[in-house]
Amino acid sequence: MNFQVYNRDIHVGDIRVVGVSSSSILMVGDAEIIQLASAFDTPAESLIIGPFVPLAVEGR
Amino acid sequence: MLQRSSSVKHIHITNAAISSVIQLGDSKIINGLNRAIAVQREKQLFIGDEEDFSKYPIFQRPIIFPQDKEDVMITSFHQNPMIHVNTINVIAFSSSSILHVGNTQAINMEARIKHIRQLLPKKN
Repeated sequence: MNFQVYNRDIHVGDIRVVGVSSSSILMVGDAEIIQLASAFDTPAESLIIGPFVPLAVEGR
Repeated sequence: MLQRSSSVKHIHITNAAISSVIQLGDSKIINGLNRAIAVQREKQLFIGDEEDFSKYPIFQRPIIFPQDKEDVMITSFHQNPMIHVNTINVIAFSSSSILHVGNTQAINMEARIKHIRQLLPKKN
């Protein structure tokens, strides 16, 4: 596939961001390759109700 | 190929923490990794030395990216070789995040977070 890009004028006023976190990126510029991955684990078993003990080994 | 330049007049950052990077200028390769075990307890209690990434499969499991099905020939024409931004205002950067002003070749970022909540037993 041939992909042609014409970059014309970009004039941005203000960029206001509260937070950038967890391997995120805020970028002003060009990049050839951007590859992002995120794994977030909050299963039901991760809600532990009971006396506070050190975290036990989790089985699969 | 001729590159575009970025022009940012003002940058205001309140906080950049936990391996965050403010990169002004071009770069080539960016690799970012963030791993976290986030424990929330109903009562304040810090046991310490209980976290071990190897205990949790989420930190081992491979992340598979979709394969490129087709070769793409990209040709870009920079009719205006400048990117203008007046102000960037960010309160906080955290956990291997990046502010990048300038060009780069490849960015590869990964975040793995295990969330655990511990509540006290119900009182009857």
